[in-house]
Amino acid sequence: MLELLDTLKGILANPIVQSSALPLLAGLVCAALLYPLRLEGLAALAGFLAAVFAIGNFGLEPLTATRKIVLLGGAAAVLGVLVDLAGRPTRYTGMAFGALFGAAALWVFAAVLRQKIPLDVAVTGAGAVALTAWLVAATVSLQYDSARAGAAGLGLGLGAGVAAVLGASALIGQYGMALGAACGGFLLLLLILGPRVSAGTALTLTAAVLGALLALGAVLLAQLHWTALAALALVPVAVRLPLPATPLWMKPVLACVYALIPAAGACAIAWLAPRGWAF
Amino acid sequence: MKRVTLCALALAVPLAASAAPESYTLDPHHTYPHFAVEHLGVSLYWGRFDRSSGKFTIDRAAHKGTLELAVETASVSTGDNERGSRPRTLDEHLKSADFFNVAEFPRMTFKADSVTFAGDSPAEISGQLTLLGVTRPLTLKVERWVCKDHPFSKKPMCGGNASGALKRSDFGMKYGLAAVSDEVRLYVQFEGYKD
Repeated sequence: MLELLDTLKGILANPIVQSSALPLLAGLVCAALLYPLRLEGLAALAGFLAAVFAIGNFGLEPLTATRKIVLLGGAAAVLGVLVDLAGRPTRYTGMAFGALFGAAALWVFAAVLRQKIPLDVAVTGAGAVALTAWLVAATVSLQYDSARAGAAGLGLGLGAGVAAVLGASALIGQYGMALGAACGGFLLLLLILGPRVSAGTALTLTAAVLGALLALGAVLLAQLHWTALAALALVPVAVRLPLPATPLWMKPVLACVYALIPAAGACAIAWLAPRGWAF
Repeated sequence: MKRVTLCALALAVPLAASAAPESYTLDPHHTYPHFAVEHLGVSLYWGRFDRSSGKFTIDRAAHKGTLELAVETASVSTGDNERGSRPRTLDEHLKSADFFNVAEFPRMTFKADSVTFAGDSPAEISGQLTLLGVTRPLTLKVERWVCKDHPFSKKPMCGGNASGALKRSDFGMKYGLAAVSDEVRLYVQFEGYKD
């Protein structure tokens, strides 16, 4: 029994398992368990938190930017569930959340902004607010299209994650990839059960908030070139490209392909920018 | 009686002067905190911080002293600072949120107000190290301590070497514990000039 526990601990200590297999499984199981309650959109948070737990970074003291990101991911999921349970969100829901979490981005990176000169604070702060607000508004508006919503979460997570690893932060990279894998778990359930599976505000808001803040973290806390953020901002646009109605499995698969194109662009920028390529 | 009192005073004045605490400012060009960690349990990997500043006081008669050291974490240097074909260097990785998180925590500080002496020389310096926003006790063992006048400027100076150890996970630096040891050994070379 002890040997089995040791083996399990060894597996969970593997960074690849922490940021891929574990969140994928947690996302899938959470989505399947909560599907009867129409709360399957919590898959994004469940998978992400499973990775945070395995990495061993749960805690609030000191309240660093990465810990604030985890907190806001949780807050986004709770707000999303409340909106989903309260009734049909309007088209202004995404904009309102965009403004709210855009302002929250300033709180997340306050300690970093304080070190900068006023002009840098203004430019960096405005950029952080704009990116977060845009990604949240554009992704939340996909709440009724589960295939596109799940694919956007997958693209944002994997794009931010892989780009962060290339930009010198493995921790943020693991968090981002975990978000992508968790949304992958949700998409697996969608492939199995079909279009009855609903992403809702719970998944779209969580994925957008975490994706935006992790990408910003890779720029502000590591070495990711800021132009990679512009590529990631195209993820919710790319998933809006036309999708075939049949066969049913084709829709989520093709949406993921669309989402991964700008995500791959962000990774290419992360790879090429340090080599002197001008962006 | 008056003559005896005057004589006693005349003797006491220089003694009192020499017993007063002396204040020194650390020379940033000859003060460098170094660190060593085990990499993959194989080699001892060394790095240092290129920029630091601080002050110390010493009261030899009262066997007391203080030390304040501030280290700029962005100055961390292992010698691996050229990317070559890689997307990042080890120094860049050390500056990220995985390790020193220099964007959020640009300084680490060590404040000590407890110094034990061996004879006239400080032997151990105990204080509080603040790293990544977390404060924990740290004791540095003084392995070398020399005070003399600078050979050219004749300014009084003191310096030496001190070492200690800490667990980085105590400060929330938990990335890569399987590959890079939790225990970090510290070696500080320092020189200070009397104010």
